[in-house]
Amino acid sequence: MSGHHISSAKFLWGVAISLFFLTFITVAVTWIQIPGPWNVVVAVAIAVVKSLIVAAFFMNLWWDSKFNVLLFIMSVVFFLLLIGITLLDTLFRVDPVPSF
Amino acid sequence: MAETSASTEQRTDHIQHHFVDSDQQFESSKLGMWIFLVTEILFFGGLFAAYIVYRSWYPELYLEASTELNAFWGTVNTAVLIGSSLTVAMAIRSAQLNQIKGLIYNLYITIFLACVFMVIKYFEYAEKLEKGIAPGRHYSYEGIAHEKANIFFSIYYMMTGLHGIHVIVGIGLMIWLVIKAKKKVFHSGYYTPVEITGLYWHLVDVIWIFLFPLLYLID
Repeated sequence: MSGHHISSAKFLWGVAISLFFLTFITVAVTWIQIPGPWNVVVAVAIAVVKSLIVAAFFMNLWWDSKFNVLLFIMSVVFFLLLIGITLLDTLFRVDPVPSF
Repeated sequence: MAETSASTEQRTDHIQHHFVDSDQQFESSKLGMWIFLVTEILFFGGLFAAYIVYRSWYPELYLEASTELNAFWGTVNTAVLIGSSLTVAMAIRSAQLNQIKGLIYNLYITIFLACVFMVIKYFEYAEKLEKGIAPGRHYSYEGIAHEKANIFFSIYYMMTGLHGIHVIVGIGLMIWLVIKAKKKVFHSGYYTPVEITGLYWHLVDVIWIFLFPLLYLID
């Protein structure tokens, strides 16, 4: 009997409120103007935390079969691979293709 | 878990002959959906890669062009989508507890919130298109000095547009779920389509969670 975890209404509300709160934080950090690349790092870090909360407690990966968790992790790994290998090219071009 | 499943009579009409039992059928469907979601993540991944490559080439363009996007309405839409994720999760919970009325109400609220999202998106698009901020070669806005300004908005329209199409598909799926629920198809022993549409909807939410700060909150 796996996969039939029933979350309580209170718990689901708690998850949503934490997501609302983190959305507020995302907006609030833009008011204090974090310098340099750190504003992007902070914004993406909060987005990652939010999506992990959604994946774990709304998409029920926390209680789900490990294989589904593995699939999710692999999609992230291949996404990072896609970006990593692309940037190895585009970041080190002498000049970017002019018409691009 | 036992206290909730004991209250219903055992319906088996949903089990297809090639599955051993209800649980195996449920787990198989969910596995299939997760594989689909992996392809979805990589589908959007290509657009995120384009975003990152161009941002690394033209960081000043992103700072300048994103001021055209209204962070207030972006924030409202984020809240709307998170709210709809909550109601989808509540809909699944209702189905698990055999509360079909609750399931239908929660689906109605979700459909309503998804429509609110699309209406806000419509006004955002309309306001930009009126100014001449259109994708690709149709771009004719003079307000941004950067010569590559159209690139930011092409990426904006592709990412939010593809996301918007997913929201519309989600609305269609939810209407289909309401119709099935009214026909008394779902019960605590069979709610697989609700669970799987829920997974899809949460993924659409997750993608917006990334789009929002990356497009609206750069400056």
